[in-house]
Amino acid sequence: MQNNEFSSDHLDVLKELMNIAMGNATANIADLLQAFGTMHIPHLQISDVDGLKNYIKMTISSEDEYYVTKQLFGGKIGGEFIFLVNKESAINLGNYLYDTVKVSDADIMDAVIELTNILSSTTIGRLTDELNTKVQFFAPYTEVVSGDPLISEEETLNYHKIIIISTVLEFQKHKISGQIFILSRDEMIISLRELIDQKLEELYS
Amino acid sequence: MTGTLEHCNIVFDSLENGALVVDEECTVWSWNKWLEINTGIASEAIIGSNLKEFYPELDYKGFQRKIRTTLRLTTPTFYDASLSNRFITIPRNKVTTSLLTNMQLQVTISPYIPSLKRVMISIHDISDLHELKMTLQHRMAEIANLNSVLKQDKQIIDTNLMIVKTDCGCLVTDVTKAFSCFFGFEKEELTGNSLSNLFVANKHEAEFLQMKEVLNKKERWSGEMEVLKKNGENVWMDAVISPHLDEKNEVISYTAIYHDITDKKRIELLSITDPLTKLYNRQKFNEVCEQMLMRQHWTQESTFGLLIADVDHFKNVNDTYGHQVGDTVLIAMADTLTDAIRTSDILARWGGEEFVILLPDVDMEKATLVADKYRQAIEQLNIPEVGSITASFGVTVFSKGDTQETMMHRADVGLYRAKKNGRNRVEFN
Repeated sequence: MQNNEFSSDHLDVLKELMNIAMGNATANIADLLQAFGTMHIPHLQISDVDGLKNYIKMTISSEDEYYVTKQLFGGKIGGEFIFLVNKESAINLGNYLYDTVKVSDADIMDAVIELTNILSSTTIGRLTDELNTKVQFFAPYTEVVSGDPLISEEETLNYHKIIIISTVLEFQKHKISGQIFILSRDEMIISLRELIDQKLEELYS
Repeated sequence: MTGTLEHCNIVFDSLENGALVVDEECTVWSWNKWLEINTGIASEAIIGSNLKEFYPELDYKGFQRKIRTTLRLTTPTFYDASLSNRFITIPRNKVTTSLLTNMQLQVTISPYIPSLKRVMISIHDISDLHELKMTLQHRMAEIANLNSVLKQDKQIIDTNLMIVKTDCGCLVTDVTKAFSCFFGFEKEELTGNSLSNLFVANKHEAEFLQMKEVLNKKERWSGEMEVLKKNGENVWMDAVISPHLDEKNEVISYTAIYHDITDKKRIELLSITDPLTKLYNRQKFNEVCEQMLMRQHWTQESTFGLLIADVDHFKNVNDTYGHQVGDTVLIAMADTLTDAIRTSDILARWGGEEFVILLPDVDMEKATLVADKYRQAIEQLNIPEVGSITASFGVTVFSKGDTQETMMHRADVGLYRAKKNGRNRVEFN
């Protein structure tokens, strides 16, 4: 087995931890934004760059416009947290958080950033808590893109193995839905595997 | 605790960015030196006060929500800094650029003393970066706009201009829609094929060879050419062919731009053609004759001749059979002469029943022989209703100092003599 490969046990643990993290995220969103949403069971996949591109192609429409917020996180495990909402959802989110029916582009951007902040810190934060480690979050940035250039060639040049954790977030009442991708690569995947090994030892010792 | 806070304030003051501490109600607990300098608000004035008193325009609903999130999740939260500054307004003093009058801020709200519901807000001036981004976006928009204009122009060119691109071996690499439609080809039929195969109509003519010579010298060629469409129709093109050279001055490709001048050519042809016989008219003959006279290389052995032919007893034909039959006789005479003359001879209708021929590269003897050959050809004619006809010929050759008038006069005298001496004969003068 190569160093960066996950066994089915590793994936099961990670999936379970992500379930807990997603539950934590929805609870926090309900508390902080008074928005009651659901998050789907996360999908986990270890992939290469092409696999990631294909996965993105399958999950999003290349014809829609999307607000894509990317936030880096660093530490023993690190990577990139991506939150993706289509334009309609982003506008609805802006309207909701800024309590208006006609939000500005800047309001929409800030609302998307705000939701991403909560999502990233609650999901990644909870995951790292469970794995007894810490992460540092960096300032996120949002851009409006069409489906295809979501992940640019330049960004994926140095990625060999990527762990994809994705889920769908829905606030039906507010007509907001989005997708979360948590991407991590190579040495970070090894660290994650080691942390999961420690967790397994902790659980079964 | 007080000592720790003092230490924190010393650290805050040494920062090269703004740092302030506020609680959930927006009461300010710390305001570092960077903020004092850049906002003009002294820490003594603002500490203990509510931020709302100094910055009432800030969206406090969103701000307080971010503070709550920070405290609740004990994690930093951020303002979006990609479009406009959404936190407090801090004037910018940069004078060399004027894109931003206020600082573009990257604002991070971090947990400070959660038990006291206080957060630290760090402010980074990212104006230079933001300006660069705005400039880049502006340039990108300009490029997108130019691309759009170029695309439109390309479409206009594609549908309206006949352009062919070839490689250095004249194999077609690209053609416009206008070109393929005009010539009746599909683009695929042309791509990869030799352009000269298309223009087989005049492949061996002097103009074509001259074009090849110019292009071999890596120069631009322009001129007119008669070419064939896919359906076999002959058309006239005004063409400009330009070679593209690499840095070693080697041809890498050619671009040929064509313009259909068939109609112009038809009009030109009409202006120089006699409508009845389709021969050159008198005007064209005069033009060609002038050009012949201007050539300097004529010698006594190799000069050019001028011949006038006149149908014998043509008036009788007209009087007996009518003008329509008279016209038939003239057409038959024109066709016979067209078939009989040498490739280099220039035949024209002078007027009435008179025809003129310029005979290049002849001497006196040869001019007479050639004229007699033409006379015999006419003698062989058998025209319905009329039967056979004959014609009389007056011939002369160019001598130094001649003009068209002097040559015409001598040939005319010859013709007169031929008529006088019994018709159906050639007289040299």
